[in-house]
Amino acid sequence: MYTITLKILNPRQRTTPMSNIGEYNWPLTTLWVGLVTIGLVAIYSATQGPVAEFLPAYIQVNFYKQLISFGIALMLIVGLQYVSPRTFREGSYVFYVVGLLLMVLTLIFGREVNGATSWLVLGPLNLQTSELMKIATVLAVANYLTSQRNLSAENLKTALTTVLIILVPTVLVFMQNDSGTAIIFLALIPVVLFWSGLPYGISLFIISPAIIGYLSIIAWYWGLAAAVFLTLLVFILQRRTWLTFTSFATGILLVIGVQVALFQVLQPHQRARIEAFTNPSFDPQGAGWNIIQAKTAIGSGGLYGKGYLEGTQTQLRFLPEQWTDFIFCVIGEEFGFAGAGFVVLLLTGFTIVLLRSAANHKHPFAQLVIVSVAAIYFTHFFINIGSATALIPVIGVPLPFISYGGSALITNTLMLGICLNLDFHKRQFSIYR
Amino acid sequence: MTRHKKKRTELSIRIFQLIIILLGLVIMGRLFQLQILDYETYEPLSRENALRQQNINPARGLIYDRSGQLLVDNKPIYSITITPSAYEPKKTPLLADLLGVSEVEVRQRVREARDYSWYRTSRLFTEIDFKTFSVIQENIWQLPGIGHQVESKRHYPVDSLQASHILGYLREVSKEEYLEQQHYHLGDKTGKTGLEKEYESQLRGEYGTEYVVVNAMGQNLGSYQEGAIDEAPEKGANLHTTLDTELQLLAEDLMEGKRGGLVALNPQTGGILSMVSAPQYDIRRLSGRIDSDYWQKINTDPDNPLFSRASSSRQPPGSTFKPLMGLMGLELGIINQNTTIYNPGYYSRGRRYNDLADPGQYNIGKAIQESSNTFFFWLMDKIVHSYSIDRWNELASSFGLGRSTNVDLPNETTGILPDSTYLNNLLGEGTWGIGDQLSLGVGQGFLAASPLQMATVTAQIGNGGYALRPHLVHSISQSDGTVHYTDSDTTKISWVDSQNIDVIKNGMRRVVTTGSGRYYANLDSVAVAGKTGTAQNPHGEDHGWFVCFAPVDNPRIAVAVLLENSGYGSISAAPVASLLVEKYITGEINRPHVYDYVKDFEPKTEDNPDE
Repeated sequence: MYTITLKILNPRQRTTPMSNIGEYNWPLTTLWVGLVTIGLVAIYSATQGPVAEFLPAYIQVNFYKQLISFGIALMLIVGLQYVSPRTFREGSYVFYVVGLLLMVLTLIFGREVNGATSWLVLGPLNLQTSELMKIATVLAVANYLTSQRNLSAENLKTALTTVLIILVPTVLVFMQNDSGTAIIFLALIPVVLFWSGLPYGISLFIISPAIIGYLSIIAWYWGLAAAVFLTLLVFILQRRTWLTFTSFATGILLVIGVQVALFQVLQPHQRARIEAFTNPSFDPQGAGWNIIQAKTAIGSGGLYGKGYLEGTQTQLRFLPEQWTDFIFCVIGEEFGFAGAGFVVLLLTGFTIVLLRSAANHKHPFAQLVIVSVAAIYFTHFFINIGSATALIPVIGVPLPFISYGGSALITNTLMLGICLNLDFHKRQFSIYR
Repeated sequence: MTRHKKKRTELSIRIFQLIIILLGLVIMGRLFQLQILDYETYEPLSRENALRQQNINPARGLIYDRSGQLLVDNKPIYSITITPSAYEPKKTPLLADLLGVSEVEVRQRVREARDYSWYRTSRLFTEIDFKTFSVIQENIWQLPGIGHQVESKRHYPVDSLQASHILGYLREVSKEEYLEQQHYHLGDKTGKTGLEKEYESQLRGEYGTEYVVVNAMGQNLGSYQEGAIDEAPEKGANLHTTLDTELQLLAEDLMEGKRGGLVALNPQTGGILSMVSAPQYDIRRLSGRIDSDYWQKINTDPDNPLFSRASSSRQPPGSTFKPLMGLMGLELGIINQNTTIYNPGYYSRGRRYNDLADPGQYNIGKAIQESSNTFFFWLMDKIVHSYSIDRWNELASSFGLGRSTNVDLPNETTGILPDSTYLNNLLGEGTWGIGDQLSLGVGQGFLAASPLQMATVTAQIGNGGYALRPHLVHSISQSDGTVHYTDSDTTKISWVDSQNIDVIKNGMRRVVTTGSGRYYANLDSVAVAGKTGTAQNPHGEDHGWFVCFAPVDNPRIAVAVLLENSGYGSISAAPVASLLVEKYITGEINRPHVYDYVKDFEPKTEDNPDE
């Protein structure tokens, strides 16, 4: 798959994977297995349950395809532990460039699925190149930032280069018309900058537009309140007049901009789509349909759910894309608050444990890689479940490890495998640091 | 790595973890809100989503003749339905292909259905053949929003029996009716004419309800809780009519190729034995899917086959009105059975009113027998002179002229029975005179009646003056077994004296034995009493009338026949009526020459001295 040779560990080295097996991150692996298993259970219901009779055969087989992907992912995660951790750092730029090339190829030759041109067909292999690009970008950014002499984003040039490394693939993803994935890339920017030493105030300033924008769609006064509150917070944290002023001006402009966009620029149907998450009944047959059905599925699940394979919303095909983007609704409907809450707990726990392994690591490259990966996962979690529960407008991203999708499962596992590798081999880092 | 940096890194990770926990809590809170707090909102929503209430069409009530012979029943037809909200327009080519119709037509019909209702299911195509129906059924999974339905259409088991103006046809409810009445659904059929319309509320029955599980594409997945909460439809009530199928078949046969109407009824009950309007339409071609070419044809036909001449045409009754005239004269005391006046061949009152009867002395009996106009002009003159036209109107009205007979059919005409108000309105107060009134005495002028009214008048003379309500349905049996009789009691018309009526009946008998009815109406098998008539027609050939009842003493049948543009009633209408009487009384026809005469009848115009 990759153009560079992998450095396989010398079995006679002092620490082999087998000798320090106790240092392997078993809790994280267990959580991963748990999440994929839950995914398989839900995908089975969504594609093989009574609903199967309304689904074309190529959708019904998704469960088995996911099962095979799980097998491949399992081998991948084991195989990755035999790779030298240096490989990821040394190959990062190569991965990045190759990834960008694949993205461009996808843009030209790619296959369109659901309006997004994100699939590249290479012989028998169907690659969602933007998924691979996430890892390549994470590695490249981590390598770049940690090889700077003063490891800091306070240095403007460093910060801008970092942003650029992330923005180039983001633009390509946007051009592929996959806005969901583009948002994931964008979410990386504040995370890596903040981690690498960006002052709190500035970090807050960077993420504040997202918060203000979100609240402005719900109601302009909420947006205004958020703008005032966040500016105050920025001032307390940073105490710089120009930053405070800029923050406030940006906030106000955003609130006004959102109102103008909603009521002047956007066509009524486009506005309906955005507003649908605050008021789905506004357009029950169009944009609101998915949201109403998703909320109905989750809400009607109650405390313990309707029972496995017995969710009417799921089995009677009321849910859109129930094996990918709306898989959480299947869990919510059939297993209720108990099941859905458990999944949220697992997902949160998984991210926390992953972040803990970063905290325990001594090497900044590994730390940044793990933090970035954790950020990518959690952004996915939050956007996916937020969409399904109508907390945010519907943005089509899969739920990592749970949604159907071989390419996504394997690349997400690849990221996890790298994190596990870096964590597993953390003693080796001192050697080549 | 400096100590400061390390501390900052740890802090950053702590902050990340904190943010994650906070956002995780937000999601948890949202789940708690949706699944625990708002459960009561969403649980019914999901149930309604998956359950659809469907109507089960009840079987429409059957119609029987007087002997229990089935006249109208139901036959299955296969329909394709659409729920526009679930339909995918891109499936139109497939649907058109399966149905074997053009895509344009499918699109057109989908649009119509959508205009009616976006959510309610309506019929897209009805009466498709079973094979096509099966093909659609097999492919229904590919066609979201498309459903299938087995319904029924009217079927007429007695071959060649039309009775189209009696039974009537069904049409799909119009958009107005659909919006007006909660009862109907789009595509439902409702009686538009005849008994189907008159008894619509009894015949249609009550819808049943079934709850079916549906998916998001609107596909039916079977019953909910095995039909535990379903309600069965209630079958429509059956109508038992007074119709005599044999007689009706003969009447239709005799009226074929003619224009006019006839009514035969039971003078004791008012039950209609036969009723024909000619020309009639083919009732079978209006059942089920509308044959639009045929519909167009009968709607534009100048002979107007949709018009029920028997109950709705308005023609001057001519001399057939004379028996009632005579009865009124007797009852008012103007004449008795021996009152004689001289007929010089005309009646002179300001001018000469023509009389075709031979000059001579006439009493009431002879006047009826020979249909002398002079006698009745004189009698009318006396009535309006001694009493008034309004008194005359009052008496004639009590026999059923100028008003509805309350027959159980729609669109019955009331005819015209002038009174002073009518003439004032029509001609202007003070401008009408004796001439306008005299012609009423011989059933001409403004007087107009339908064959149904004349049959009723004749039957009431025959039965000795008992008022009848002519009717077709004598009992209605509900699906639960209860039977409701609709026959009404006959009541004596108060002013009629039975001795006087015998004088009139006697005169009518003489019409048949020695008068103008003797050629075709005088039967060996039964004593017939009748009266011929000719309605003056300013637009063309006169219309022939004949009314009769038999047997004279205790009549079992009364008939009125009107043949348009056929000239004298004695040679046009009388043979038709007599064949019906013969058939009804004896069960067969022993005068094949009369039958052949009627079948070959061409209107004749030469003078007939008896008229």
